[in-house]
Amino acid sequence: MLNHLIPHKTITLRSVFDFEKTPFNLFMALTTLLLLAAFAAGFVHYLMHGHHAYGVTREHPWGLLIAMYIFFVVSSTGLCIISSLGHVFHIKSFEFIGKRAIFGAIITIVSGFAVIGLEIGHPVRMVIYNTLSPGFSSAIWGMGVLYSVYLFLIILEFIFLSRDDHKWSRIFGLGGLLVGIAAHSNLGAVFGFLIGRPMANGVFYPVYFILSAMITGCYLLFLMYGYKYKMVFNDEMQKFLMHLGRLLGLLIAILVFFEFWRFLTAIYGNFPERAETALHILGSFNFWVGEVLLGMAIPFVIILYSKAKALKAMIYASISGMIGIFFMRYDLVHDTLVYPMQTMKIKEYQLAPSWIEYMPTMTEWAVAFGGIGICLALYYVGENFFFLDPHQDDAYFQNYRDEE
Amino acid sequence: MAKYAMILNYKNCINCKACEVACKEENGIELGAKAHRIWVGTYDIEGKYPLLSIPSSTFYPSQCQHCANAPCEEVCPTHATYYDKNGVVQIDAQKCILCSYCMVACPYDARYVDTRTMSVDKCNFCSDTRLARGLKTTACQATCPTKVRLFGDMDDPNSEVSHILRTKEHFTLKAGIGTEPRLFYIK
Repeated sequence: MLNHLIPHKTITLRSVFDFEKTPFNLFMALTTLLLLAAFAAGFVHYLMHGHHAYGVTREHPWGLLIAMYIFFVVSSTGLCIISSLGHVFHIKSFEFIGKRAIFGAIITIVSGFAVIGLEIGHPVRMVIYNTLSPGFSSAIWGMGVLYSVYLFLIILEFIFLSRDDHKWSRIFGLGGLLVGIAAHSNLGAVFGFLIGRPMANGVFYPVYFILSAMITGCYLLFLMYGYKYKMVFNDEMQKFLMHLGRLLGLLIAILVFFEFWRFLTAIYGNFPERAETALHILGSFNFWVGEVLLGMAIPFVIILYSKAKALKAMIYASISGMIGIFFMRYDLVHDTLVYPMQTMKIKEYQLAPSWIEYMPTMTEWAVAFGGIGICLALYYVGENFFFLDPHQDDAYFQNYRDEE
Repeated sequence: MAKYAMILNYKNCINCKACEVACKEENGIELGAKAHRIWVGTYDIEGKYPLLSIPSSTFYPSQCQHCANAPCEEVCPTHATYYDKNGVVQIDAQKCILCSYCMVACPYDARYVDTRTMSVDKCNFCSDTRLARGLKTTACQATCPTKVRLFGDMDDPNSEVSHILRTKEHFTLKAGIGTEPRLFYIK
């Protein structure tokens, strides 16, 4: 029945657990299980204590879970954009990544929804009143609706890609791409629209979100294919990864350029609140080590000096890159909220004036990183259940076809 | 139909915090520093004794500004925050999904989470308490010993609020960002 809708592998419960027991696979399996357990523990704790389980405050109402939601949807949009280079825009060396990348886009946004579902205080009410009483001027409303449409479109895209129906997959691919970009820039606008937060307000975030999504997509594709092929690549794969590396190099260079001018314009002229906040960010460990060193410098230097040929090094650098992307998402939320709204001098109620501080609770860490566990588990199930590669690259056909 | 506003003769404020207490009492606000609808802002006094700066010791009572162009109303995805017929920014707790976007968007830090209803709460000019009982003043105004606050209808040309706005210089907080607050501070 399901096979009529989407081709899939015949799997048994036993075959799901019957993976090659290499140390790295075992490490990944254990990591996934631990992260899933963390998510479950965080979920139970949240059910017991509600929002009290989180470290968010009146002055810092958004925290790690919002950052993690953005991390996931950035990943999803990035994978969607990069995959569309192949099957929507027909760039030859990217064509074969379509199914795997789109599947990655689906599971990352599902993981993001799982995390945000535990951050929104009333998720059921959200569905009801987003429909009955829509706030059209709200960027969060627009983002929610657009991401729901986006998820629907990329699921259809994945189905048609799996059926080798390239006419419809291209149509839904283009639709998913356009709606995904609209949704993601809308997420940037959630921050960009904040007139009371000069560091976030403006055009930067909607544009930056698309750029950093593409960078995230490149890092994730390096990791997915590095893991898939155990660092041994055929000619076609080498060509693809080299092209991916060059694209990534260009995107990071643009990001550095964006960030440079963002901070210079923020500081120049000493504009109230914005300049102080920018200097505060520039004095932080998170920015220099997390964002700049891990997220940009290490991958960029490797690409630059190897001319994008050091593929193994790039895969390791993509781990550093993804940690950097996490810092970027976390800082995005924190930096927006770090300046107190009653100015740096005034004591509000009994609260002394200072930069706003925030420390996630254990529950927040558990739910946030548990989301990665959901993502890894779904990826593993998808790898075993769907055909994520062109037929000639899929081990399933070599190992199981004959038995059928 | 009215256009409610509040005038603050803030230089009269002696930081007795009776307004904070009255607000909590009248509107049943939770105890503790996190849950407060109104507050008295204070600066650290500048300078060294005996050359202390007297203006720096001024107190700034404040609350929700009931902006005519309220960022919190604009960003609410479910219209849980809305304008009532008197131009007061209100919250429908039943519609609030606790996304906290309004708390992030408010330039005045006027919103907090009521942990009993798990929805965002803020000053509503005592709409559902004193005004609903037919009174003409808010709790903070009624209790103030130095008459800092004055609540009234800007649309009524004969109201005291309108008279003061016509005759005295005043300013609003963060006027540059275009929120058009309805809390006016007398210079």
